[in-house]
Amino acid sequence: MAYQLYRNTTLGNSLQESLDELIQVCGCVGSAQESLDELIQSQQITPQLALQVLLQFDKAINSALAQRVRNRVNFRGSLNTYRFCDNVWTFVLNDVEFREVTELVKVDKVKIVACDGKNTGSNTAE
Amino acid sequence: MDGPSALERYLESCSGQFKDDFSTSPHLFTPMSPYDVELPSRTAEDVFGSQFNQPEELHPDFSSVDLSFLPDVTQDNKERGLCEDRHEMPKERGVSVQRNEDSGVFTDESSFSNPDATQPSPETPGVSPHLSPMTPVTPVSSASESSGIVPQLQNIVSTVNLACKLDLKNIALHARNAEYNPKRFAAVIMRIREPRTTALIFSSGKMVCTGAKSEEQSRLAARKYARVVQKLGFPAKFLDFKIQNMVGSCDVRFPIRLEGLVLTHQQFSSYEPELFPGLIYRMVKPRIVLLIFVSGKVVLTGAKDRSEIYEAFENIYPILKGFQKPS
Repeated sequence: MAYQLYRNTTLGNSLQESLDELIQVCGCVGSAQESLDELIQSQQITPQLALQVLLQFDKAINSALAQRVRNRVNFRGSLNTYRFCDNVWTFVLNDVEFREVTELVKVDKVKIVACDGKNTGSNTAE
Repeated sequence: MDGPSALERYLESCSGQFKDDFSTSPHLFTPMSPYDVELPSRTAEDVFGSQFNQPEELHPDFSSVDLSFLPDVTQDNKERGLCEDRHEMPKERGVSVQRNEDSGVFTDESSFSNPDATQPSPETPGVSPHLSPMTPVTPVSSASESSGIVPQLQNIVSTVNLACKLDLKNIALHARNAEYNPKRFAAVIMRIREPRTTALIFSSGKMVCTGAKSEEQSRLAARKYARVVQKLGFPAKFLDFKIQNMVGSCDVRFPIRLEGLVLTHQQFSSYEPELFPGLIYRMVKPRIVLLIFVSGKVVLTGAKDRSEIYEAFENIYPILKGFQKPS
């Protein structure tokens, strides 16, 4: 089971929103919709299917990052806070410089959520 | 407190020389009130006199000798005594000077154990030592100076009971700068920046606080951790704060012959250069472990109180001086 870590990324969030739109009326029968003008889509996919899509997304993104990403970025900043719980590290850094060979990006604050790279242990950490 | 105890030690050692009951090692001094001690065969003055090659004098003239560092029975007298004989008395010097009388005791033992042994028996039997406040009862050879070195505290370990069961996962999730890996260790490891310390917080509510450089800082840090826990919703209290260990370090500023030291102080030393480059000296009184290195750096640990560190260093300094590497 791959990490569901990447669901809260730009890519993952867009996917989740799209799936939510596709499920809509189907999943929530009779309940008030937040965006009633989205009633156009109804029963296009089941919630169960949406879940499967997300699981497939997890597998795909994990393998893509592991296999297809080759570049390297260095970053340096000052540590504001750290946390380690459920084998997940959460850092908040300040005044960070992300340095790649080609370019430099400076940020005031960055939150890093990191899971164990071996991927043999916990899986549902996000 | 240092005064009587140093005096006690000296007096014990004097009687020990004749009874052979006590070795000259630092540890065998039972605490007694100085006024209870009756020297069997010599008074302190006689010893002092013989120390300075004034055997004819029963009441040696002390005016020529620098006695300012000798301890008095009371703190007030100590201060007065110190102030009288020195032009200036910076507090640190006074403290180290006061502690020197301990070291003085040990240098003296070896120096007069043999040559002076025959002298004093007939002279003053049964005269109890003069213990008026300004009397120097602990002779120190003018050659031995006060160490003038104060060990610096490097680490304090303390414990406190927060007196309530804690949900460690909750704490790890909501507190900042916390680590919790129950598979590896059953406590939350939390750190704060001021004072820079680390705390181990257990589910029982007990907590260990390490890394502070002073007793007050350790207490303050423990209180800060308790407040963090309290703010997370637990009914934390602050019971039984106790300092468990204190570590100090200092530099004697001369190289030391560790081999010599381990030969003469076998009962207390262990020196395995292939294992660890420092000599491990386990002092019995106070019960402190010292790591002594060739460079002259000394680490003292195992103290429950700051005074134990200071006392241990003052005890060891003359011994180390005796094993200075000639250069």
